[in-house]
Amino acid sequence: MALEKLQVDSLIVGGGIAGMQAALDLADQGYQVALVEKEASIGGKMIALSKVFPTLDCCSCITTPKMSAVAHHENIQLLTYCEVQALEENGGGYTALVEKKPRYVIEEDCTGCRECEYACPIDLPSDFDRGMGAYRAVRVPFSTAVPQVATLDIENCILCGKCEKVCPHGCIDFTQTARHFEIETTAIVLATGFEVTPKDAKKEYGAGQFDNVIDGLMMERLLAPTGPYGHVLRPGDGKEPDSIAYVQCAGSRDATLGIEYCSRVCCMYAIKQAMLLSGALPLADITIYYMDIRTFGKGYEQFYQTARAMGIEFVKGKVAQITEDENKNPVVRVEMLDEGSKIVERTHDLVVLSVGLLPGYNPGSLYGVPAADDGFVTVPSPNISPSETARPGIFVTGVAAGPMDIVDSIVLSGAAASEAAAYIEAHNSRVAVSESKGKKELAHV
Amino acid sequence: MSTEDKKTRAQLLKQLREQYRDTVDRTQALLKEHNAVRKEIFKAMGDEPRTVPEIAELSGVSSHEVLWHITALKKYDLVAEVGMDGEYYQYQKVKGGAS
Amino acid sequence: MSEIEQNQTPPSEGQEEPRIAVYTCYCGGNISEVVDCEKVAEAVSKLPNVVISRTDMSMCSDAGQALIEQDIKEHGVNRVIVGACAPSLHETTFRGAVTRAGLNPYLYHHVGIREQDSWVHHNDPEGASEKAIRLLSAGIAKSRMLEPLESIKLDAEKHALIIGGGVAGLRAALDIARRGIKASLIEKTPFIGGRMAQLETTFPVDEPAREALGGLIDRVVEHPNITIYTQAELVGLHGYVGDFHATIRQDQRGVSEDIADAAMAACEIEVPDEFNYGLTTRKVIYRAYDGCYPSTPAVDWANCPDGRLELTLDGKPVVLENRPETIDLTVGAIVVATGFDLYEPREGEYGYGILPEVITLPQFIRLLALNGDAPLEWNGRRVKNIAAIHCVGSREVDGIHEPHEDGSLNEYCSRICCSALLHTLNVVKDRYPDINVYDAYEDIRTYGRGHEDLYIKASHQAVRFLRFHNEERPTVNRENGDQPLLTLNDYLTWGEEIEVPVDLVVLAVGVKPRAIDDIISMLKISKGSDSFLAEVHPKLRPVETAVPGIVLAGTAQGPMNIQESSAAASAAAAKVSVLLGTGEVELEPFVAVVNHDLCDGTGACVEVCCYEDAIALETVTVNGAEVQRAVVTPANCVGCGVCVSACPNLAIDVQGWTLAQYEAMIDAIVGELPTLEAAR
Ligand SMILES: Cc1cc2nc3c(=O)[nH]c(=O)nc-3n(C[C@H](O)[C@H](O)[C@H](O)COP(=O)(O)OP(=O)(O)OC[C@H]3O[C@@H](n4cnc5c(N)ncnc54)[C@H](O)[C@@H]3O)c2cc1C
Ligand SMILES: Cc1cc2nc3c(=O)[nH]c(=O)nc-3n(C[C@H](O)[C@H](O)[C@H](O)COP(=O)(O)OP(=O)(O)OC[C@H]3O[C@@H](n4cnc5c(N)ncnc54)[C@H](O)[C@@H]3O)c2cc1C
Ligand code: SF4
Repeated sequence: MALEKLQVDSLIVGGGIAGMQAALDLADQGYQVALVEKEASIGGKMIALSKVFPTLDCCSCITTPKMSAVAHHENIQLLTYCEVQALEENGGGYTALVEKKPRYVIEEDCTGCRECEYACPIDLPSDFDRGMGAYRAVRVPFSTAVPQVATLDIENCILCGKCEKVCPHGCIDFTQTARHFEIETTAIVLATGFEVTPKDAKKEYGAGQFDNVIDGLMMERLLAPTGPYGHVLRPGDGKEPDSIAYVQCAGSRDATLGIEYCSRVCCMYAIKQAMLLSGALPLADITIYYMDIRTFGKGYEQFYQTARAMGIEFVKGKVAQITEDENKNPVVRVEMLDEGSKIVERTHDLVVLSVGLLPGYNPGSLYGVPAADDGFVTVPSPNISPSETARPGIFVTGVAAGPMDIVDSIVLSGAAASEAAAYIEAHNSRVAVSESKGKKELAHV
Repeated sequence: MSTEDKKTRAQLLKQLREQYRDTVDRTQALLKEHNAVRKEIFKAMGDEPRTVPEIAELSGVSSHEVLWHITALKKYDLVAEVGMDGEYYQYQKVKGGAS
Repeated sequence: MSEIEQNQTPPSEGQEEPRIAVYTCYCGGNISEVVDCEKVAEAVSKLPNVVISRTDMSMCSDAGQALIEQDIKEHGVNRVIVGACAPSLHETTFRGAVTRAGLNPYLYHHVGIREQDSWVHHNDPEGASEKAIRLLSAGIAKSRMLEPLESIKLDAEKHALIIGGGVAGLRAALDIARRGIKASLIEKTPFIGGRMAQLETTFPVDEPAREALGGLIDRVVEHPNITIYTQAELVGLHGYVGDFHATIRQDQRGVSEDIADAAMAACEIEVPDEFNYGLTTRKVIYRAYDGCYPSTPAVDWANCPDGRLELTLDGKPVVLENRPETIDLTVGAIVVATGFDLYEPREGEYGYGILPEVITLPQFIRLLALNGDAPLEWNGRRVKNIAAIHCVGSREVDGIHEPHEDGSLNEYCSRICCSALLHTLNVVKDRYPDINVYDAYEDIRTYGRGHEDLYIKASHQAVRFLRFHNEERPTVNRENGDQPLLTLNDYLTWGEEIEVPVDLVVLAVGVKPRAIDDIISMLKISKGSDSFLAEVHPKLRPVETAVPGIVLAGTAQGPMNIQESSAAASAAAAKVSVLLGTGEVELEPFVAVVNHDLCDGTGACVEVCCYEDAIALETVTVNGAEVQRAVVTPANCVGCGVCVSACPNLAIDVQGWTLAQYEAMIDAIVGELPTLEAAR
């Protein structure tokens, strides 16, 4: 059976902010774009954030309209819950074999009413809320998901059929199987983003065993208006914390983890969260333990100085260890560099690890673009062509090209779109030339 | 639905259950465990507003786990947040919601 | 489909009974934490013509927009209002939703209740809620009178002007040209390449700067769509997106290739060479560096007395004179890539200008380049100890640091100096392992990909790091001995005071905006509080200015390294391609319209209008008689409304924002309202 085939100018892999922006910047220029996202919704890590530095816009104010624009753009084909399984070169372009995973829900008919979700008896720790909240085995991934369609997680389902019974549109379809199709494209933009340092990476910090030692992304969820508890509470026992500490570089600039690079966003997100916390919990003491504060971007240093002026405590010091007292309060052991390097132990209600950014996906074997020592996609001439990979026609943007914040990701996506557009133009004129040559030869015959 | 359709559907579900036996078994065990824990939690809550440490103390379930279940129950309107006691929020069963 | 047509062109739509839907957005708590959105929605639902009043967590989300579309389709809504963030953020988002549902986009009205309400009145929730009701009521009053409008479509010139020939300008020109759009690049100096040409090697990849730059220049020079004008400056601009008319003044190069070398040899005037930051001198006929582009030398007219240069060539007197030419270009878009300047320390700041041993990092980079592999000497002495100081002219804090002459402080971090300095110190250590290097910093900001390796390498190469507090920066003095003394409290060693005698002090000076006020006023773009050029929004429109068709590339916008400048430039090129790719641009229809039944050609409007060719008196025929009437050129009109206020006959209105609409809004704001109480 011949596979369904989609023909586009550019394929974008990954629907985080970087991928969405690249898609929009190409589509707005009139190119046909297919965006492939492996998850059930686009939005990436950004959609789970609270407010975003440096402007402190609520994150959904920036992300959701972009998600909507991607979904409605006449030049963009949005392909969620899909993964590229194979890639072949075809005369100057590429053919990608894509698998669409079964949602067990008829997408076209689903209105996102969530009746199924309410009916489902299975509560699971929600990935979106970093395990702190719950979702059901069948669910709309989150309230602002695009598309607004339910997805059934068959691996955590007891097949009781309750969802099927309540669905007003008869959308649940247990007979669905994976679908395969091909995308023919000229250019490819990789925007596969990142994961954060795993919880158990640092033994000295409790290896993820302490309930009141959380990571930066969990704090984003606690601060988000749609967060799991609706308030900032510590996950150990629901207490509203009075004293919150940040441990910077928890997973970055750390030779013992083999991650020597700086993750670039953690200083700013910690300061941002500290500011938001002092709004949410005006009486709480907030401390940031750091080695260097790297607020290098436009307006970032001013942001940092504002935080200092607000009374957030910045302590230059290395956190050697975190333990837990009998009340499950984390105890931080730190070398206070500004106080003659003396070693002190301080107890807090909640400790946030400013975890680092790790590559989200290694496109190496499938896409034939190598990763550098740091695990991110290699960019052979970063100075002049910051989004060009080693393979012609394949470009990279966002954190897939190394840690960067949203502003830098959006700018780099514009650059990737520019490079891809130029590549497409050159390709199209080559094709036009060879086609016209072909015709001439035919005429001779 | 005609009896015919019902039959095919039942057959289909049976087939699927066969195919996913392992995950279904695992999830069923999880459901059972959740139900047991929730029974304890609801018992501890009675009809009073309760904080997480109070529920933990009364039920013997760890406070971390209590919080997770309360969060889940709250999301699907089975438990509501009703007030605050010191540094802790209080939760109460929703009438007609929780069993 | 039929529905769309029906909605867009029915002759009766203006008169059609308004059916208004009002949506009050929570903005994820930004609004609802202060404003009682539910009460507000209830209150406005009681106003005439409001058929739907809803709230939502986030109206701009796909679900929120779908709600609007659904209400239009299912409930015959024909006017839509969202009370949410500022219109600059999401007015176009909602116009899009309205359009998708088949309604004319200008039947949408946006009411700002975040920036204008919840954010500024967070201490007064009651008052804020009432204000929201009043603002929405005004919006509803206006909405009743809205009429469908068509955006203005104009032909766009597929040609862009790039101002500045540094790496950012070059990269932008190349990307624009590769998309089939013509690009004209003007560079003020005689040679392109900007500051990148002055570097020896670059971080993060240790590549020779001129090789990488040269590769880019070759591609630019070879591209048939690109024209380069050197010694050229923008001196005039009018027009609008799609049709800007730029006037360029170009100096004469002064010498032709055939006499160039003889002329250089004959030239006797020498001036400090800015390429080497004044470490050396050059003649006023010069090439900036070996292999520069264009390779023909140029005359530096500014340093020739009276703009003329007298030479003796082959025994004959020759007079070179500058006869600048004027070039007119019509372009659809403009890229501003004018780059950055360097902070010049005040006299005595860390001994600068007083102690000859104190130089800046850019000077030091040139010194190393000029020196090659020879032993490093400075000021007649072999250099054995070097001290480097970070953040000179950056990260200044109000109340701690002394303001500059104009009262300003450079509060920002200059972003490039940490990495540039460590990269340079590594070069020193590679080349001169015996030189002791001290590096005084507050924070090391090697944030970028590959930058941390510079820090690690410097540590391994035994660069000795010293850490100061921003409140007590180091000092450099020559006390009694003959070497300058770096003094600071080092917080890496218990805050003890440390004194280091050194032979050379390198100041990592910060990055400053260039003095381009002339360009800023010609282009009508604006600076941010840090004096760099301002973008509209760092996330939504990071390379665009508030003026349609004018975009930013590179360090004119703020400190950036080469990689970031290239990325920003390519992103700017993408915006230009979006704008000019189709050969047509769209403008908002909010322009003045003249009712010729009321106009009697007083010309008062023409007199007050500040915009060129926006409104003029023209002879038209009314009832067979030739009379003068005001006529608007929509493309040049910005809709400011000054003419409206000047017209004695009330013959002019700005469409979409008419006087009658304003009156209705004001009446609604001050009038009786369904108050909060009533709603309860
Ligand atoms: C705690 C925290 C707080 C932050 N706060 C801020 C802030 O306030 N301001 C700011 O500017 N930045 C902030 N950041 C940084 C910001 O999150 C990133 O810059 C941004 O999300 C990067 O977007 P991206 O699109 O590159 O990656 P991602 O968001 O990771 O998106 C990648 C997408 O690709 C998909 N994908 C991955 N692999 C594949 C594949 N093989 N096939 C198909 N799809 C795939 C993923 O599912 C995902 O949707 C923060 C980061 C953290 C960790
Ligand atoms: C000491 C130092 C070391 C550095 N080292 C590195 C490094 O190793 N790696 C790295 O990545 N980055 C480095 N940088 C940063 C790098 O120099 C900049 O990122 C880069 O030069 C910015 O390019 P640009 O095009 O934005 O600006 P510029 O290089 O300043 O170019 C702007 C151009 O515009 C022209 N111009 C200005 N005004 C006008 C006008 N009105 N009309 C016409 N033309 C005009 C100027 O003459 C100039 O040619 C360093 C910077 C410094 C100061
Ligand atoms: S980059 Fe480093 S030296 Fe430059 S201002 Fe920022 S912190 Fe200071």
